[in-house]
Amino acid sequence: MRAAGLAVVAAVILSVPFVAGDFHTTLMLPFFAYSVILLGFNLLFGYTGLLSFGHSLFIGIGAYAAAFLTSKFGVMHLEASLLAAAAAAGLVAAPIGALCVRYVKIYFAMLTLAFGMLFYSFLLKFYFVTGGDEGMRVLQPFLLAFDLSAMPKIRFLTGPYYYYSVAVLAVATFVMWRIVSSPFGLCLRSIRDNPNKAEFLGVSVKRYRWYAFMISAVYAAVGGALLGPTTGQVDPNLAYWTHSGNIVFMTLLGGFANFFGPLVGALVFIFLQDTVMSVVPYWRFVFGAILAFLVIFAPGGLMGLLDAQVARWGEKARHVGAPT
Amino acid sequence: MMSHILNVLLSGVFHASILFLVAAGLQVVFGVQKIFNLACGSFYALGAYVGVSFVQAFLRAGLPPELFVLALVAGGLCAAVVGPVVERGLLRFVYDRDETFQLLLTFAVVLMLEDAIRMVWGTSPLSTGGLYLLYGQVRILGVTVPVYNLIVIGAGLLIALLIGYMLTRTKFGRIIRAAADNREMAEALGVDMPWMYVRVFTLGTVLGTVGGALVIPATATMTEMGIELIVEAFAVVVIGGLGSMRGAFVGALVVGILRSIAISTYPELEMLLIYLIVIAVLVLKPRGLFGEVGV
Amino acid sequence: MGREGQTRGGTHVILRAHDIRKSFGEFPALNGVSLEIKEGEFVSIIGPNGAGKTTFINVVTGLLTPSGGKVFFKDRDITGLGPLKLSGLGMARSFQLVNIFPELTVLECIKVAVVSRLGRGRRLFSSLARDQEVHAKALEVAELFGLAEKSHTPAKKLPQGDKKLLDVASAFALYPEIILLDEPTSGVSTRDKHAIMEILVSASERIGIKAIVQVEHDMDIVFGYSDRIIALHQGKVLADGTPEEIRANEEVVNTVVGRKARALGRGA
Repeated sequence: MRAAGLAVVAAVILSVPFVAGDFHTTLMLPFFAYSVILLGFNLLFGYTGLLSFGHSLFIGIGAYAAAFLTSKFGVMHLEASLLAAAAAAGLVAAPIGALCVRYVKIYFAMLTLAFGMLFYSFLLKFYFVTGGDEGMRVLQPFLLAFDLSAMPKIRFLTGPYYYYSVAVLAVATFVMWRIVSSPFGLCLRSIRDNPNKAEFLGVSVKRYRWYAFMISAVYAAVGGALLGPTTGQVDPNLAYWTHSGNIVFMTLLGGFANFFGPLVGALVFIFLQDTVMSVVPYWRFVFGAILAFLVIFAPGGLMGLLDAQVARWGEKARHVGAPT
Repeated sequence: MMSHILNVLLSGVFHASILFLVAAGLQVVFGVQKIFNLACGSFYALGAYVGVSFVQAFLRAGLPPELFVLALVAGGLCAAVVGPVVERGLLRFVYDRDETFQLLLTFAVVLMLEDAIRMVWGTSPLSTGGLYLLYGQVRILGVTVPVYNLIVIGAGLLIALLIGYMLTRTKFGRIIRAAADNREMAEALGVDMPWMYVRVFTLGTVLGTVGGALVIPATATMTEMGIELIVEAFAVVVIGGLGSMRGAFVGALVVGILRSIAISTYPELEMLLIYLIVIAVLVLKPRGLFGEVGV
Repeated sequence: MGREGQTRGGTHVILRAHDIRKSFGEFPALNGVSLEIKEGEFVSIIGPNGAGKTTFINVVTGLLTPSGGKVFFKDRDITGLGPLKLSGLGMARSFQLVNIFPELTVLECIKVAVVSRLGRGRRLFSSLARDQEVHAKALEVAELFGLAEKSHTPAKKLPQGDKKLLDVASAFALYPEIILLDEPTSGVSTRDKHAIMEILVSASERIGIKAIVQVEHDMDIVFGYSDRIIALHQGKVLADGTPEEIRANEEVVNTVVGRKARALGRGA
């Protein structure tokens, strides 16, 4: 049942460049990038129970890694950017994560926020390295060693880059699926539900949180690296704390209790933002209201509502089928 | 040299006075309701914008400019009406939920207020123009200080003393401290918690909005001011300790003066220094200087 | 192990507490508690509220560091080691207030312990569902505790008694050498209490647990299953002996046990 659903979704995604216009196709690109980011974020939030308000730190690291490699060092291979992003994120996440996982809840959220803003300040102030508030350019990268720089940007984005992103997302999804279904994933969930008890059962709470933190950081950076080429530009706002807030919002919107929830959230967010912005520039107000509604009435997000609805249909079906 | 140090100190203390107001609002809400109100910065911004509008209306009405401060403060107080609205309309639904969701709800308020302000006042900076120097300037030990700054510093001190008095001598203050210590016991002793929460949250809001209104003459409103302030306010309460009023006072001084030092020596380091201090404090002494809350 | 009148217990001491003290600020919860648990024993710790029973268990199981004194487990000083290390050394416990993983299913709760014991927690890419060994071992423990039919029920949906069993079952799944139970039958109906105790005793035999220590208030349960009873009062050991000795001890009977057990004693 689930496999069939996935197949349908995959078919739809793969056909978009052929059926939809350039605009909507390019709108899917940040969706792919954010999906990778969110898969990692939800490992930390939905599966391990840690809310980070500083995830934009690693998105920024990934995005700027791609910018540096392509525009400053002339390394055009996207694979190099992705690898560099992952490595940089891992290196940074190791000490920061080791520090942050010693704290929980509000302190964890605030500590991660502080680190995120630290990086933002660094990006902003050290303009001779990072380009300051003007940011840096990300040049059209080579995909799988193919130099496609002759291709006009739109064709590049709606063609090869689109499918490349889908492939990266597919791999990322597969790997994350394996992770959450593994014994490690079970330990993370036990830590989320009851860290005290988990400790008593021999699960090292700090260490596993640390692992989850690093994995989520790598995912964020890879997603960030994918984001760069879509606009050709990266700037410090990628690391601002409200960007982290958007990530959290997408997760909540789609539903953190479901593996695909955050991805649904990303899709809805991106298209909703586009729709709202074309009508009225006050998308933040709309999103704030939606977030408030979600928190109060539907903390399980869209997937949570869907699951509840499916359960209700299941109940009804059982009653209908039952002999009187 | 001396005058330079004094200059830095005085501007730091001015900024600290404003920070203290906002942080005090944060602390009192956290102490009683255990919610870290991310929207405190937004309240600050709202106070600033409403304050400017009041002053503009005040001047247009032909009232004496020397009294503009009254209009400013009135604006700040009126802006605080957003407090009970947010508390009764949104926050009260999540008091029994996980802290994470409470934090997210305040973030939703941040988003909504940010655009609400844009809707009403637009995006260009607003200011009170030359009114800042209306009260003239004063020379202290070789440094020229606008009298307005001294008024604000004085007001900050006065409010700090009033808060201290309220918390220790009045019934309301004692209830606040009791509820902060042990909510269930306070309830068991007959304290009407919902009513308490509204009043405490409104108090926190007023401190924020008035702080925002008071800072305007020295600067100008900006769309990002609320969002930027939350990080500073957060630094204050981390350094001072979550839930502690004394912590808000000391933390505000530390952040205000440090920021002033940073601006005058290495402007690039301005916020960097603050965040580093926050991280250092969270690592070395997570409870901050005066904090009572466990980590 | 654990039947009235049958004292087994080899001479090997598996757990030893030496002069344990613990103060919370001014309040001295434990005032020098010393005791020994031998292999094969089922020991109940009794005492009025505030005697320090749970505090003692918390110190022994590493949740609290004592203000003074030492704890030895299998002749090794484990004072202040912390629950994580102790679980690896062969000690497990259950909690007075039910402590489970609400969102995990029954089987998953037990699997956490099995995964931990088998050292598979760091396997990131292998499928848990397809791990036959983990599944089999977890199911085995679930069956011992009568929870096998509810394997796929989320823990939060279980009735209170089953939640308690699950708490204990997941601790048992660590295959510990000693298990400390904090009021395993509290909040459970009288009829179910004996059922739970029977399950506990037979499960320990199946798993090969070498000693059971429980904090318990229900004197039926205490006298019905213990090899030895230790009475705590105001942070000190008041008495330490067989059920008969305790029953005969006037002081214990008055402070701790109450009239019912005295009546039991007269009837015996």
